Amino acid sequence: MASDVVLVIGGGPAGLEAARGAADLGAKVVLVEERDHLGGTPVFERYAALTHGFQDAEEVMNRLAQEVTTHPNVQVKLSTRVVGCTGSKGDFHVTLTKVSDGASETVHAGAIIVATGFQHFDPGRETQVYGYYEYPDVITLADAEAMLKARKFVRPSTGLPPERVCFIQCVGSRDRQIGNEYCSKVCCGIASKQAIEIRQQVPNCKVYIFYIDMRMYGYWENEIYWPAQEQYKVNYIKGIATEIIQKGDKLLVRGEDTTLGRPMEVLMDMVILSVGMEPSKGTREVARILGLKQNKYGFIEVPHEGVDPVATSVPGIFVAGAAAGPKDLDDSMSMAGAAAMKAVAAIRRAIAVASGG
Amino acid sequence: MSIHAKQAEGPLGKERVFKRDPDLPLSEDIRDLVFELEAEGEWIVQRVPEPYVEVPRKDGRAKKVPLQHTWHHKSCGQCGHIPGYSTAIFWLHRKLGLEYDDPKDQTSCTGWNYYASATSNAAAQAAVAVRNFAAAYVTGFFPLIHCGTSYGHYKEVREELVKHPELRAQVREIMAKLGKPLVMPEEIVHYSEWVYAVRHEIAARKVYDCREIVVTVHPACHYYKLVQGDAIYDPDIYGGQRTAVVTAVAKALGAQVKDYSTWFDCCGFGFRHILVQRDFTRSFAVNRKIETMLEEAKPDVVLTHDTGCVTTLDKSQFAAQVHNKKVGVPVMSEAQFAALAMGAHPYRVCQLHWHAADYRPLLEKMGIDWKEKWQEFEEDLERIRRGEKDYLTWEDVDAEIPARHFLQVS
Amino acid sequence: MALHAPPKLERYADIPYEEKERLFQEVKADPRFPDYLYGCYECGICVAACPSARFYDFSPRKIAQTLAREDVELFFYQLNEDVWNCSQCFSCNRCPRGNSPGGLITIMREVAVRNGLRSAKEALEGYSRVIYKIMATGTQVSPDMIQADAFPDWGPVAKETADNLELWRKALPPETMHTTSTAWEVSEQTLTELYLIWHMTGVMDMIKEVDEGLHMILLDVMEELLEERGYALAE
Repeated sequence: MASDVVLVIGGGPAGLEAARGAADLGAKVVLVEERDHLGGTPVFERYAALTHGFQDAEEVMNRLAQEVTTHPNVQVKLSTRVVGCTGSKGDFHVTLTKVSDGASETVHAGAIIVATGFQHFDPGRETQVYGYYEYPDVITLADAEAMLKARKFVRPSTGLPPERVCFIQCVGSRDRQIGNEYCSKVCCGIASKQAIEIRQQVPNCKVYIFYIDMRMYGYWENEIYWPAQEQYKVNYIKGIATEIIQKGDKLLVRGEDTTLGRPMEVLMDMVILSVGMEPSKGTREVARILGLKQNKYGFIEVPHEGVDPVATSVPGIFVAGAAAGPKDLDDSMSMAGAAAMKAVAAIRRAIAVASGG
Repeated sequence: MSIHAKQAEGPLGKERVFKRDPDLPLSEDIRDLVFELEAEGEWIVQRVPEPYVEVPRKDGRAKKVPLQHTWHHKSCGQCGHIPGYSTAIFWLHRKLGLEYDDPKDQTSCTGWNYYASATSNAAAQAAVAVRNFAAAYVTGFFPLIHCGTSYGHYKEVREELVKHPELRAQVREIMAKLGKPLVMPEEIVHYSEWVYAVRHEIAARKVYDCREIVVTVHPACHYYKLVQGDAIYDPDIYGGQRTAVVTAVAKALGAQVKDYSTWFDCCGFGFRHILVQRDFTRSFAVNRKIETMLEEAKPDVVLTHDTGCVTTLDKSQFAAQVHNKKVGVPVMSEAQFAALAMGAHPYRVCQLHWHAADYRPLLEKMGIDWKEKWQEFEEDLERIRRGEKDYLTWEDVDAEIPARHFLQVS
Repeated sequence: MALHAPPKLERYADIPYEEKERLFQEVKADPRFPDYLYGCYECGICVAACPSARFYDFSPRKIAQTLAREDVELFFYQLNEDVWNCSQCFSCNRCPRGNSPGGLITIMREVAVRNGLRSAKEALEGYSRVIYKIMATGTQVSPDMIQADAFPDWGPVAKETADNLELWRKALPPETMHTTSTAWEVSEQTLTELYLIWHMTGVMDMIKEVDEGLHMILLDVMEELLEERGYALAE
């Protein structure tokens, strides 16, 4: 029997937007989130400003979550995991369990939208030797977000504001040795955004960005990259680092200044590793449970991404956001809208077929 | 248990311990391909003999390190110029009661020459490697490779043989002409991995207190950079982010391992440079490594685990004195240092008289009376000179300290 | 071909382009080449890790770039001027693209030797005794190479070692190490097998290209042992 329910898995930006979209189109929506809160990685990791537009991440996410939780067509299940799935397009039976007590229930859904997102690359697996697990003053983009949000951007080793900070780009991305050959898309923008925030919060701090290519497409160029250079005097140096090691109470960063063609050694108070995106544990797990094809990186495979960016290998199951690969917020939200539209169309078609229409 | 948003204090309050995510797919393991080729009848894989110790690799897998019945693939630079290096490795085996073979049916890997002059090629290098592997195989003892370059080079050869069927065919034909099977060991094992594996057994037998000894470690490029995945990385050493060999041994012995900012730099050996462009080697070794160590860590000894590194870092210091460079720190292998700590004779076993930088202050700090030991060694030399003895023998050396009971393998 | 040849390339202006192209193709034809060069986005990691880049005007990144761009003129310059500066430490193997600039240099050096380039001969001047040692004795270095006049910069230990060499070698407990002209005692059968490998893999031909004198000496030494052990060398 066909169901008129759309099941959305994941309560981050893409999942929230997909739920809102499907509900606005009149479908019944069940939104499942493993964590005890909505808002996804931006809230979980305590992001500061959103990279596009500099709005407060928590405020934006809370507003979106509010619209979803108060929507009459949406039922939100927090601290709930997907553990099993049977059936096919129009007629899925998905087993859920409560994280707290393991109590399980089954949801009958006509279509599923997977929005299980990404996780930040763990710099412990980096080919280069960046010392994240050796030195407290080496942090990641996510760590820096939390500090900037708290408006307490200080050296973890001393608690004092830094005088020299650098970003190292492409950590865990574009690396054949790690097996992540892809570009994570957002790190150039986030690093530049954070560089601006650091300059705003700690005006005496010099900020450097060591990069391979600055990928500041579209409006990121004029809204982020140029202001970072022109207004905030952030230094961009082409060439990244092979090692970070303690020297006295500073961090010695070794790289090449490729525009000069010579080895470079610079002392920093703090180093921020621009860690890329990998499929979240939830994405891997849900893909396995739903029988979705994953690409070699573990992201959910989208067979015809260029023309149908939300379809998966299983009819009736759609994907939105970074579960399908590195995405910025703009892409995630657009995908969510498309997925909502496709999912609602799928349940209506299935119901029509079932009722002989 | 519910999953809350992260705490507000960010990284300040965060305890960082690197744990490899067990769900992440691992990169290709060359050992699987080596076994596949065996199943296809391409070659024989020599198994690591039991008992072995499983040690952690960089790529998250475990590596089998044989405890005994090892075939010692000696190093030409060690045996030729710093013979206390090889002798100390053998001595450690003897003291731990572990059987080994010191073969004459062994050549150099010829990697030093290859990396210096390129007067060789992939087929010749592979043939030399597998000839030595076949020689080990017929003895039933498993190759334990003393030299970092041989170790790295053999791993490179293994990759080439696995990837290129035409190279395999060429080498198989050569081996057939020599009347030998084509053999690939299950693991390519460096002696420093063996020392790492038995470090607690060594520490349990130490007779000198090392707590006041400040050590700097130089890791060998050909050990962990040439072929990276199967070098030993231990979560307890450098947070699992740098190779653990040597450092783990010094720590197990109770010494103070201090860091310095050029830890990752090469020693400057350069293969051809050490022989015919020594200005490069000397400058690099002194300016980048020795001076930095002395300025930042003030070590009593530099420990490393490869032939070229000991030679370069030790022998480059003398000439730098005329430029008032900060030099003057002894350099030796961790095997020699471990042997010293276990009471090995500094001259009969560790053969420190072959080393250039002054090691005597280190011995004094460890509580070893080098004058008395040198006197003993002089007497050995005198007996040989007079013809009373042909050679100094293992019996002479083994007699010094009663051999402990055999190593208990858990 | 570089559109605007840098002045330094003029040094090799007399060499026909076809010859440079031939050597370039020989490098590219090495079976290892595809594993050593994928592409380069100039991150600089190889230079950052490179000891030779700190001492010479040398850049592993430029080697990779030149080969990737198929710049035959610059390749030929590097083949003659740069490759012998590499330390072959393979610190550059950390390349996130999976390149091995050091491996590319190994191949380039091999091509330089195989073709008897003058720069290769010059680079190997003074090195012949080491090639002789490894090829003829099976061990790369020997105790008797330590001589006071060869290693004055090693300080008094070189002279002391040389003066006491035989005695000090006898005072080594491992019985394989009482040798002075080899690092350890290599059995004759082992050596015979090594000689056969050199002949069967074309290494003898490479030596002939860079050092004919050395080639003749090596042939003599090898022939004697091989004949003694029942192997006739077909010329």
